[in-house]
Amino acid sequence: MGAIGRKIRLVFAVAFLFAPALTAAHVGQGDVSGGFLAGVKHPIFGFDHVIAMVAVGIWGAQLGPPAIWVLPVTFPLVMAFGGVLGGLGVPIPGIEIGIAISAIALGCMVAFAVRPPLWVAAVMVGVFAIFHGYAHGAELPDTANAISYAVGFVVATGSLHAFGILLGVANRWRAGARSLQAGGGLIAACGLYFLVSHFVAA
Amino acid sequence: MKGPGKLALHAGLALSFALAATGVLAHSTVKSAGDFYAGVLHPLTALEHVLPFVALGVLAGQRGQPAHRAVLIFALSLGAGACLALWLKPVPGIAMLNIASSIIFGGLIASAWALPILLLNSLAILFGLSHGFANGEAITKEIRAYLFIPGIVAAGAVVAVYAMIAVDYVLRRKPTWLPIAVRVAGSWIAAIGILVLAISGRAILKS
Repeated sequence: MGAIGRKIRLVFAVAFLFAPALTAAHVGQGDVSGGFLAGVKHPIFGFDHVIAMVAVGIWGAQLGPPAIWVLPVTFPLVMAFGGVLGGLGVPIPGIEIGIAISAIALGCMVAFAVRPPLWVAAVMVGVFAIFHGYAHGAELPDTANAISYAVGFVVATGSLHAFGILLGVANRWRAGARSLQAGGGLIAACGLYFLVSHFVAA
Repeated sequence: MKGPGKLALHAGLALSFALAATGVLAHSTVKSAGDFYAGVLHPLTALEHVLPFVALGVLAGQRGQPAHRAVLIFALSLGAGACLALWLKPVPGIAMLNIASSIIFGGLIASAWALPILLLNSLAILFGLSHGFANGEAITKEIRAYLFIPGIVAAGAVVAVYAMIAVDYVLRRKPTWLPIAVRVAGSWIAAIGILVLAISGRAILKS
């Protein structure tokens, strides 16, 4: 207790003072929940994104520190940069192919538990992050509330990384490590499917 | 009492004074209290303000005790910026500057760079003024600025101090992944800012 206890009590006292203001806050400024949900749905309902994001998390966990935090810290930033390119309509050909290849490559890295130097992993993930960000950016809606969309979008993508890292905890046990590698193989197979179906459709 | 405790006490006192002022005036009309709360709610109901407020608090909490004063500097700059909006004409691009504050604060958190306190305080003043200005622009003739502006200051102080105390508390814990989680949060905040700039930039290009 002591200083921290006093501090916390003070904060709660202030919070209660503000409670009446918050309960009266039916101002409805902007469409916060709508934009947020649209942003969350976008990465989560695109299965090609989901498997690649989870693969980033698992691979980070396999590589261990410092990759386990370098990858999730840099990925959102690079992806947002790709989103800017996509949003502004800068032409980059073969985005869908790049995304399918990212799933194949990252899936293979996990399947064979490849341990390249950190910068190789970072560059590889960074390049793929631009592809993913570009695809999202090109489909960014002209939403009334751009920021709640972006919040939902980044939180969903980051949560997929976190999910992959959590799965990666299994890497400590021999059976867990084998399961992760099998999962990586599955991800690579899905990526191959997306690649083939892209060419078949084209 | 040291560090965040002392700072929280100062913030609490400042808030009490701000609230006491409205308490006295609340006897005249209900609406006068309403203007203070309108000032509180105006930044709080817009994520483009809340997010940088939180980010500054996280940054100050991450940087450690000498940085804690930046939060109060920021809150006071909010008030100054809102006052400026009473005199000056609307500044174009102030919304972009506000979104840029998310990118800069978020990027600094992600980098975990021990930035000089002077620089942090300067950023707090610059973006405090810009956010205050944007909120002050909402003041119409019917709104009492002397109530609305303290409301903005209170909102900024509460959000940033909360975030700072939370991060200060989290970083004192044992698990080594917690500092990394704070950096990841910074990276998310910066990414959100970049995406919003892209969406807004495209809207401007299209128009």
